[in-house]
Amino acid sequence: MIAIKGFKQGLLVIFSGPPDEPWLARLRELEAKLSANPGFFKGGSMAFDVKAMPLSEDDLRRSVALLESYEITLWAVLAQDEATRARVRALGLADRLTPPEPAAAPVTHRPRDVARIPAATPSPTIEPTARAAPAEEHHPEGTDGLLVRRRVRSGQVLRHPGHIVVIGDVNPGAQLIAGGDIIVWGKLQGTAHAGALGDDRAVICALEMSPTFIRIADATRAPRPGERRSRNKASSAEMARVEDQQIVFVAWDKAARISE
Amino acid sequence: MEEKVITVTSGKGGVGKTTTTANIGSALALLGKKVVVLDGDIGLRNLDIVMGLENRIVYDIVDYVEGRCRLRQALIRDKRAPELYLLPTAQTRDKSAINPGQMVQVCDELRKEFDYIIIDSPAGIEQGFQNALAPADRVLVVTNPEVSSVRDADRVIGLVEAQQKGPVQLIINRLIAARVKKQEMLSTQDIMDVLSTEIIGIVPEDEAILSSSNRGTPVVFNGKSPAAIAYRDIARRLIGEDVPLVQPQPTSWWQKLFGRTE
Repeated sequence: MIAIKGFKQGLLVIFSGPPDEPWLARLRELEAKLSANPGFFKGGSMAFDVKAMPLSEDDLRRSVALLESYEITLWAVLAQDEATRARVRALGLADRLTPPEPAAAPVTHRPRDVARIPAATPSPTIEPTARAAPAEEHHPEGTDGLLVRRRVRSGQVLRHPGHIVVIGDVNPGAQLIAGGDIIVWGKLQGTAHAGALGDDRAVICALEMSPTFIRIADATRAPRPGERRSRNKASSAEMARVEDQQIVFVAWDKAARISE
Repeated sequence: MEEKVITVTSGKGGVGKTTTTANIGSALALLGKKVVVLDGDIGLRNLDIVMGLENRIVYDIVDYVEGRCRLRQALIRDKRAPELYLLPTAQTRDKSAINPGQMVQVCDELRKEFDYIIIDSPAGIEQGFQNALAPADRVLVVTNPEVSSVRDADRVIGLVEAQQKGPVQLIINRLIAARVKKQEMLSTQDIMDVLSTEIIGIVPEDEAILSSSNRGTPVVFNGKSPAAIAYRDIARRLIGEDVPLVQPQPTSWWQKLFGRTE
């Protein structure tokens, strides 16, 4: 039983289930998730929440090594077992989710301009017609999201298993990696990977779409010829989505609702 | 807090950090401030050369940090201005000779005596950059009007913002107005589209810079060359004077474009 959640310092893997289940079996389950979508995890950092399960030093070292082989940094392990926590600290890992050092933080944003959108409880006031059936299937209503209200600069990486919404520009050299959709209320010039956990129904929307490179699930696309470097060109909002395994761009307006 | 410690940085090398540090430091001293310019590039020192003070170095910042001299002994007085000093760096050591905490301590000592401490950051975003950033009250990012330099400036601004150091201001260096007009060079607007950071000065390309660096006399000490005027304007903005920002023009260089009309 593994759940992967996004939070301010990266990803949190929650291991739930009976505490006597062997750790190796759980690691294998995690590895299956990592190997299914290595692109989403690569270069990121992770924290574990192992609940009441006691872990040996060997268990911890194996976890670090497994993540390393996928180029992921394990920086914290939360455990209820006091002896496990001591072993976690002895290995130089954090035993709670205080922010890592600024230089080590993969997501270098300031807390005040970032908001995690919590999973909403279904509200009876929402009209049934507002929820198109296909959208509901691939993103259940109330999927987590990361809202970032600032410019994302070169070298900065935002990674979230749900949606990513940026209110601001995404500069060349910046990277967005989302399990769900990516919405940029601004100019997208960096790279964006939506549906990074395998969902090819995910979309990428931007007021100004001039990415260095975009990816939806496994489909990739470099910018259209002549679309970059075109300065001061008045352009309209666009949406990228996958059709017949190819990424296509369509005008992002009433005719191309995300939930169509 | 008073903004005494000003770090000059860029990410990319060769964009004019050292020239900018020398000229802004000298210009502030000519305005009557007590100034020390500090070379943050341990192992590759050259602020002393640009300042023309190379042959007077006895002790350096590493000697002070490691207890071989007092701070006073490491400071070199520049007699061309009333109160201008250089704190040189070591030539024979590397970036790890000093850590950010020690840099903060050195600057805390200097704060007691000086109005301004201008730190010349090394290129890159590694320890030397972290050393230069640690004590900063204000950060000046130097960029040239070309794509790779702007990209590195963007990266550096992101790092500075993440450490909540600020304010960050931008110096566009070596702008050639005629080439911008012909669209061979990024314009101020192009740069602002990416960086959206307050500009504290635009320094035009100027032949006087090369000869003055080689002679060890920062351009602000003599003459009315375009770069000297731009650096003096930056110094006046740093001390809080309201100097409108002018955009270099190919025809009449100092025609006022933006800022307020007087």
